[in-house]
Amino acid sequence: MTRVYVGMSGGVDSSLTAALLVEQGYDVTGVYMKNWTQDLPGMKCPWADDLADAKRVAVQLGIDFKVFDFENEYRDKVVEYMITEYKAGRTPNPDIMCNQEVKFKLFLEAALEDGADMIATGHYARVENGQLKMAADTNKDQTYFLYRVTRRALEKTLFPLGDYPKPVVREMAQARGLYTAAKKDSQGICFVGKVGIREFLSQYVEQQPGAIIDVQSGKKLGVHDGAIFYTLGQRHGLDLGGGLPYYVVGKDMDKNEVYVTTDLNDKSLWKSDVELHSVHWIGEEPRAGTYAKRIRHRAPIVKAELEVVGDKASLKVVDQQRAVASGQSIVLYDGDVCIGGGIVL
Amino acid sequence: MKTDLESIYLDHAAATPMSQRVIAAMQPYFSLDFYNPSSPYAPAIKVRRDYEAAKQAIAQAIGATADELVMTAGATESINLAFGSVSGHVVVPSIEHHAVLAAAKQHSHTTIEPDAHGRISVETVKQALRADTVLVSIALANNELGTIQPLRDIAQLIKETRAKRLADGDTTPLYLHSDASQGVGLLDVNVARLGVDLLTINAAKVYGPKQMGLLWADRHIVLKPQIVGGGQERGYRSGTENVAGTIGFATAMALADKHRKQEAERVGALRDMIEAQLTSAFPEAIVSGHKKHRLPGHLHISWPGIDAERLVFGLEAQGVLVATGSACAANKGTRSHVLTAIGLDDSTADGSLRLSLGALSTPENSKRAAESIIQVVQKEIERIKR
Repeated sequence: MTRVYVGMSGGVDSSLTAALLVEQGYDVTGVYMKNWTQDLPGMKCPWADDLADAKRVAVQLGIDFKVFDFENEYRDKVVEYMITEYKAGRTPNPDIMCNQEVKFKLFLEAALEDGADMIATGHYARVENGQLKMAADTNKDQTYFLYRVTRRALEKTLFPLGDYPKPVVREMAQARGLYTAAKKDSQGICFVGKVGIREFLSQYVEQQPGAIIDVQSGKKLGVHDGAIFYTLGQRHGLDLGGGLPYYVVGKDMDKNEVYVTTDLNDKSLWKSDVELHSVHWIGEEPRAGTYAKRIRHRAPIVKAELEVVGDKASLKVVDQQRAVASGQSIVLYDGDVCIGGGIVL
Repeated sequence: MKTDLESIYLDHAAATPMSQRVIAAMQPYFSLDFYNPSSPYAPAIKVRRDYEAAKQAIAQAIGATADELVMTAGATESINLAFGSVSGHVVVPSIEHHAVLAAAKQHSHTTIEPDAHGRISVETVKQALRADTVLVSIALANNELGTIQPLRDIAQLIKETRAKRLADGDTTPLYLHSDASQGVGLLDVNVARLGVDLLTINAAKVYGPKQMGLLWADRHIVLKPQIVGGGQERGYRSGTENVAGTIGFATAMALADKHRKQEAERVGALRDMIEAQLTSAFPEAIVSGHKKHRLPGHLHISWPGIDAERLVFGLEAQGVLVATGSACAANKGTRSHVLTAIGLDDSTADGSLRLSLGALSTPENSKRAAESIIQVVQKEIERIKR
């Protein structure tokens, strides 16, 4: 019997994942990954409740249950990375890093070490012949977060939810009477939870007032509390009063200045060509050509011309799309196969 | 008393449901008789009289007088007031509630160890007493094991020590405080018979409201207020009186007083039945706590090698609500200090359940609960064998 270790977060998705694997005849062990336990101002970290919920479901299913403690590694590999990137003026994606470093590396290795043959998670994605494919529910598809996972890891991974639409997943959980069937989905970055990224970063960086400058007139429009908190294309949170909305078109981390415009046609909001670094390919390196790209989770998929040079790549725009902040990931698809991607320079 | 009919509640040591009579007695004081008892007009004076009468009733239930009571917002506050009123060395058992242990840490203190059944001997207390010891605090009954302490004997020791000090011309005070919250519904809590100098009771453990408690202090003890302000409660605890809470507390205490003996017998018989069912199904199970000196509603039972938290979740799914006797996965590494103190090894401690019966327990639901426990434990044993 194949032994599968399921990452159980205490949510409905991973609960049903475990239930389906049990039904499919696998020898299933539930594992709660303890990554983050710190409370943040205004929000108690729900980890203990989540852990209890995961364990409740494991007991319901009559499966073994373990806790893998990755708290130190998570802080080093994900949280530190995130803070460093923000400090450098970039906009990182910690979920992608968490999948790359924790779930599909540390967890996989620890599970195999502990006697598992495979791992499983509640991600909405599919694996076929070592290829990462979009979930049947394209609205819920989570391959954007998984593009940095290795082929070797994918070959050892099951995504039982990849074939189901989310509403059906909830129904299936309800039909099985799973304790977590009605539990609300977690929102935002997993460990930041309901607290905004700004509140989170404020714990680690000093707030420093700086100028908000209109990029066209050069006029100072107001004061912000740290360029670190602003991202290219961002509209909200500028607090500049009435009139047309302002968008962030750039920032200078050294001067701690944020540049904004009311002109939605400003060329820095529509940068056509993008350079990627730290590219990662799940299979072989793709040949130059036209691919589908996604600039963030759930963003519409548009075409782009790809050319790869070593660990870098350039993307020439085919379909016009809003610019992407430095540090974010662009993920590429060939049909419904996620081939990999890279990080915007 | 009504709760969710589906569930069987076996955690009366954690919280008790307020009886309808308690709720009914409190009701008028939330709206009709809402007046501040310190106000000068007639309706407020009526409220003040009702409040004083409630305190009188509570005092009567513990064999004291109303002017020796300080009404508080629960046992933790009472304990803080007791400990905050003394300066000097204090002695506490290692198995006390965290409220007592934390309060003791504010002082120079000695913790004393129980025997394997969780009982504190007079001799242990005697050895811990120093020339500068001012307070010994021992719960009437342990909240996890249900073990009842020999308070009367310890009180005798305290009295003798005090007398000896006086004879020697030493005026260092020495008091015995007891948190009787766990025993109050089922044991005699008459302060004279217990022989204590200070007594804490939590209304929420005796079918009264939460955030309601009292500290009784013998009249020669001068308390040091921990909450200052308008001078209510003879200046020992400022803040507008919790009239409804005190009325509810008084009603609950009167009911407990009236039914104590028969309720202790009734609950004890049910507990014994569950214990017999479980130990005959699992001869390897370990029952902790003192055989004879144990709260009639308490049953602490362990299955070494089993994860008790799984049992709690498995039982919860069947509508049976119990407490783990020890750690849960979320606070791994911090096992119950009580179970460590009585020498249970980690595997036994982690496999412990605490069942506490009370007003919601009936012969039918106790029997069903025992059957559920047997079934859930059996399932876990089989899973582990696989």
